[in-house]
Amino acid sequence: MLRYGKGDAGAFEALYRRHRLPLYRFLLRQVGNAESAEELFQDLWMRVVNSRGRYEVRAKFTSWVYAIAHNRLMDFYRANGRASFLSHEESESVLEDLPAGEIAADLRLDRKRAVERLLAALGELPDAQREAFVLQQESELSIEEIAAATGVSPETAKSRLRYAVAKLRASLGKKS
Amino acid sequence: MIERRDDELSRIYRDAEGPRPPQRVDDNILAASQRVAGARRRPAGFGFARRWGTPVALAATVLVTFTLALMVFERESGLDAMAPEARRTDRPAKVLPAEPQRTDQPGTPSPAVLRPIAPAPPISQALQRDPVEQGRGESTVSRGGLGTGQPAFVPEVPRASEVLRKREEAKPALAAPVPDAQSAPEFRQQARPMQAPAAAPAAGALSESGATFQRSGVTAAIANPLAVSEAKERTPEKWLEDIRKLRTEGKMTEVERELAEFRKRYPDYILPEDLR
Repeated sequence: MLRYGKGDAGAFEALYRRHRLPLYRFLLRQVGNAESAEELFQDLWMRVVNSRGRYEVRAKFTSWVYAIAHNRLMDFYRANGRASFLSHEESESVLEDLPAGEIAADLRLDRKRAVERLLAALGELPDAQREAFVLQQESELSIEEIAAATGVSPETAKSRLRYAVAKLRASLGKKS
Repeated sequence: MIERRDDELSRIYRDAEGPRPPQRVDDNILAASQRVAGARRRPAGFGFARRWGTPVALAATVLVTFTLALMVFERESGLDAMAPEARRTDRPAKVLPAEPQRTDQPGTPSPAVLRPIAPAPPISQALQRDPVEQGRGESTVSRGGLGTGQPAFVPEVPRASEVLRKREEAKPALAAPVPDAQSAPEFRQQARPMQAPAAAPAAGALSESGATFQRSGVTAAIANPLAVSEAKERTPEKWLEDIRKLRTEGKMTEVERELAEFRKRYPDYILPEDLR
C-alpha cells in the first residue's frame, strides 16, 4: 500500500489479487445478494484507492481493509433497517445454553448437502456472529484481528465466534 | 488469544463453491487505481528528484569546491615558482609606454636633464609631434614584447634621447637657460657631470645619449614617487645595476632607499655579495 501511495500501480494490483476473493465473499455472505455485495465491494476498493496518500502502517493491511469493510457494512445495515447485531452481554448469555453439537454421520459423507446446510445456517446467524465466523474462515484472522476489524473487544469477538460455531454445528447435526 | 478453528466446519465451508466478483468490477477497480496512480506519476518523478537531489547537489558542491581549490592552489604555487621570471618577462611590456615620462614628470625636478628644459612639454606631446619617431617607438615596443624575453627598457632609451635631441633642435628657444648657439652636445655636456665617471659594463653597450637618459631617468625615478613605482617594474638585475651605479656616484642615501625598496619588492631575491 505504501508503494501504491508512491505511484506504483502494480503494487495495488498485487494487493487486489490477494484480497479480492475473501473480501467479496465476506461481503456477499453478510449482505446476502450479489448486487449489493458488488456495490459494497467496489465502493470498498475505491476507498482503498483514495486512501493511498493517507495510509500509515499501524496494523496489517488485512485488518485495515476489513475494518473498512465492516464500517461499510454498518452503513449498509443502517440504510436497510438491519440492526441485528447482538450486544456483548446477549451473546455471552446465549452462549451459556448452547449444546456441543455433533455433525451427523450422513452429512460427513455427503459433502454437497453439508455445504448447503452450512450456508443455510450461516445465513440465519445474526450478522455479528456470521461476520466473526466468515472473517475467520475467509481471511484467517485471529480473534484480536477480528476484534480490531469489527471494533469490539477480543472477548466479544471470541464470544461471537464461539456462538456462531455452536449454532452451525447444531444445524448440521439435527437432521440428515 | 488464539481460538482454535473448527476444522470440520472449515472443511465444509471451503467445499462451498466460492463466488467471485464479476470481471467488470475487477476492471473498474483496477482501471480506477491505475488512473489515480498515473495521475501521481509526476509526483513519482518528483520523488526521484527529491531522492537524488540532495546527493547530487552535495556531489556537485564538492566537485566545484575541489576544482576551485585545485585551481587556486596550482595558480599560487605556479606564481611562487615563477615569480622572478614572470616579472622579468611580463612587466617591461607594461612599462614601455610610461618609460619616456620619466624625463619630465610635471612638477618633478629632474636635476640632470630637466633643469635646462624645464618649460618644455612632456615627451608624450613631443612624440605626438613627431609621427616618424612615434612609429619607430611602436616598432621598438613590438620588438621588446613578451615573447622575446628581452627587457624592452634598453632599446627604449635611445629613442627617447633622440626625441629630446630633436626637440632641442626644433625649439631651442624653449630651453631658456641655454643660449641659442648651444647645441645638443653642449646640453649633454651639462648633463654629463651628473653621470657616474665609470659606467657599468651593461651601460657601455648603450649609446652615450641613451646612457645619459637612462641615468637621468633613474635619478628622476628616485626623486619622483611615481617614477619610483615605475622603477619597481625593472628587472631585479637591472635594478641592482642601477643601485651599483648610485653607490659608485656616492649617493648612499639613495642606495639605502633603493636597496630597501628592492628587498621589499623581491624579498626572496638573494642579493649579490657587494650589495649586502
